[in-house]
Amino acid sequence: MASSEAVESTRLFIRQTSGLVRELGIPAATGISLASVAVVNTFINFNAGLTDFAKADMYLPLVAAAVIWLVAMFGYRFLLRAVPRAGGEYVYLSRIVSPVVGAMAGLGIAVVFTYVLSTNAHFAAQFTPFMLAGFGLVFHSTAVANAGNHLTSNWAVAWLSIVVMLIVAALSLFRVKIVARIIFWLIVLQVVAFVVLIGVLAGSSHASFVSAFGNYSHNPGAYQAMITAAHGNGVLFGTSIASAIAIIPFMVLNYNGVLYSYYVGGELRRPGRTYLYASTISIGLLVVLWVGVWALLRARMGLTFMQAQANLGVANPTAYGKITSLSSVSGGLGYGMILTSNPVARLLFATAVPLAEIAVNLAFLTVTTRVLFAQAFDRLLPIGVAKVGDRNHAPNVAIGIVLIIGCAFCFLTSLVNLGSIVALQSLFFALILLAGGVAALFLPIRRPELIELPGASDDARRTFLRKVAWVGGATTVLALFTVYLLIAHSSVYGKFSWESILTLVIVLGAGPVIYAVARSIRRQRNSLDLTLAMHELPPE
Amino acid sequence: MLGSRRQRGKKTRALRIYFATDLHGSDVCFRKFLAAAKVYAADVLILGGDFAGKGLVPVLRENGSLTARVHGESVTVPATAWDQLASDVNRAGFYPVQMEAGAVAALDHDPAALDGLFRSEIAGQMQRWCDLAAERLDPAVRCIITPGNDDPVEADPVLAAHPRVECPELELCDLGPVTMASLGVVPTTPWDTERECSEDELGKQISQMLDQVPDGRNCILNLHCPPYASGLDDAPELDATLKPVIRGGRPSIVPVGSHAVREAIKRYQPVVGLHGHIHESRGAQKIGRTLCVNPGSDYSSGVLRGAVVDIAEDGTCLDFLLTTG
Repeated sequence: MASSEAVESTRLFIRQTSGLVRELGIPAATGISLASVAVVNTFINFNAGLTDFAKADMYLPLVAAAVIWLVAMFGYRFLLRAVPRAGGEYVYLSRIVSPVVGAMAGLGIAVVFTYVLSTNAHFAAQFTPFMLAGFGLVFHSTAVANAGNHLTSNWAVAWLSIVVMLIVAALSLFRVKIVARIIFWLIVLQVVAFVVLIGVLAGSSHASFVSAFGNYSHNPGAYQAMITAAHGNGVLFGTSIASAIAIIPFMVLNYNGVLYSYYVGGELRRPGRTYLYASTISIGLLVVLWVGVWALLRARMGLTFMQAQANLGVANPTAYGKITSLSSVSGGLGYGMILTSNPVARLLFATAVPLAEIAVNLAFLTVTTRVLFAQAFDRLLPIGVAKVGDRNHAPNVAIGIVLIIGCAFCFLTSLVNLGSIVALQSLFFALILLAGGVAALFLPIRRPELIELPGASDDARRTFLRKVAWVGGATTVLALFTVYLLIAHSSVYGKFSWESILTLVIVLGAGPVIYAVARSIRRQRNSLDLTLAMHELPPE
Repeated sequence: MLGSRRQRGKKTRALRIYFATDLHGSDVCFRKFLAAAKVYAADVLILGGDFAGKGLVPVLRENGSLTARVHGESVTVPATAWDQLASDVNRAGFYPVQMEAGAVAALDHDPAALDGLFRSEIAGQMQRWCDLAAERLDPAVRCIITPGNDDPVEADPVLAAHPRVECPELELCDLGPVTMASLGVVPTTPWDTERECSEDELGKQISQMLDQVPDGRNCILNLHCPPYASGLDDAPELDATLKPVIRGGRPSIVPVGSHAVREAIKRYQPVVGLHGHIHESRGAQKIGRTLCVNPGSDYSSGVLRGAVVDIAEDGTCLDFLLTTG
């Protein structure tokens, strides 16, 4: 051991040079992690969970999903320490496992993220009637409130989705700095809506909600009528352990983004340590916040009512419509809307989802175009894909490609039943988590030099490598558990059919196929072989 | 096969360049740079600036042991393990220097002495690197090293004097089918580094070189700074205290390249622009008919990022590939 004097004296002298010397600390990294989770969607997602899973309770899934991400966090911590820069799974897999596997992840993520853009737009379009209802309440206009009723057809939702995509397209053509500001203020609005909603719920009582729901529905007995009607339509009430376990993957997807500070690994000060603290704080905050919100919803609305309201809207829309005009998918935002008479709060609730989806789509568009960039730089796609505009400095070609495909997905999502084709989307996201686990597991085996402990004995280095392997293995096992639950409950998460399996195979196979084709074409045309791009150079 | 010179239409490859940049003192990356000549069958190796390290780690000698801060942790090893410790320290591109505790404290209060120590370590490392190039490179392979804005002038005489290495800074250099113009100076940065000037001055220096290129002769630019708003110059925006600006929960990214470089590329239209400076902005872009490349840098993890560029007999660019090794 070093003497205390020596320890105090050991240090690093830095000279004045251009570039950063890893300046992002724990607060900034925590902010990045939390900003990557769509906070306001929590209320909507609880509602979706109640619809998809009979007898669902959220306490166990919220905690179990957090534990899965907590274990994965240690795996990503080692990956970040080994490859301390941006890039995510594409870079980890291509550097640690194989360029072909990296291409599989890279192109798969680009395709799925493009589809997610359209589903977000579709989601925002579905919320337009709720938004107009909110505007109607605020401005005392039944015409505006009723206008939403004319926007529920498939064609209307399709066109609204396109409008959302065009808004995102227009905003993304601004300079990157301005786009970042737009995203920032949209997130601020989202967080304000979230906080105000918690305040409204916390300041109300169960009795006041029952009364407010009756007033909103012009029927003092609407609360009980909802439960009775749901009962009559076969909606199951109460909770069960089996349901709580089945919903774990759903909650795992809800936390998606909480570890994303590894995407800025290149700027983190002491990356491994900063990432660990930031991710732990983020996961801890979300667990406390979400468990608290769920407890608040249960106390104010009652689990039975929430189950009834969420499911009756799906099981029997006609019966639901006779009881209330409150959108059945609005979840906590809808409850907040009827509990408050404050016009500013109502405007916040009404616009929270569309604005949040625009913010998320702007961020997703950036990520997707970055992935396309990486593929173009690796010569898997034409270099023109990475072209940056002279005036706006934006990747106009990549944005154009993503938006054209995204708009096509919007029409297909609204007008054609894509359910069987994209059924395995949730599985794909779980596979991304699995990819992270596999990369961490392979790290000490294939690239031990990237994480070897400085100054340690051979025994200590071997012990450390075993620890990394164990963490990678644990992440892989938990990811496999999530994948198993997704497959075992395919009726909820996505059925296995020839269409859905073929789609998944195409998405996963596109990268390797394009890699093979691009390599073959280039070998025929000139002397540069794509395999050289990832060739390991001997340092000695 | 790698070594074969296949045809693309009627053009054949006459020159293969391997370009890397911003090694910032990483010994392992420089060794990989030398190995690249054989692995990629390159005719010319070009190291495009910012070879100097950013940090210096004092290694304390005490009672037969050595203590240093490595990757943020205090590490103590027997004095016999110096080579391994020095290698671990240098993995981040830092210079390990053995000294007594008193000397460390003295450096704290003497910026001039610290600056002098840095300069002598950088020049010493460049001498070792040039010697290594002479030892390991095939005689047929040309090795060109030009400075960047972070490189002290003390390294210039080392490069100028070494017989195995060429340093055509602010000069034209004949590479066979093309002529290369090199310049490591960049527009003013917030860090007030070694080689900076105004955009106007930078534009003049580039023009002075390129005006000498004979008509009809193709040229390539080896300019450390990338062109402004090319996608090769995206870096985190900094506040007045040089901390990254966070917007929307993420670091704000802005273009920080040179307007003068962009104007020169538009005006002279070289076949290729080789750039560096912005480590995180790896990529390739076309400005007019010029292919601009920034291979980026990942020196701190011991990974060498580079670019292979093939030039045809008529001086046009046949193909390129960004590499990670």
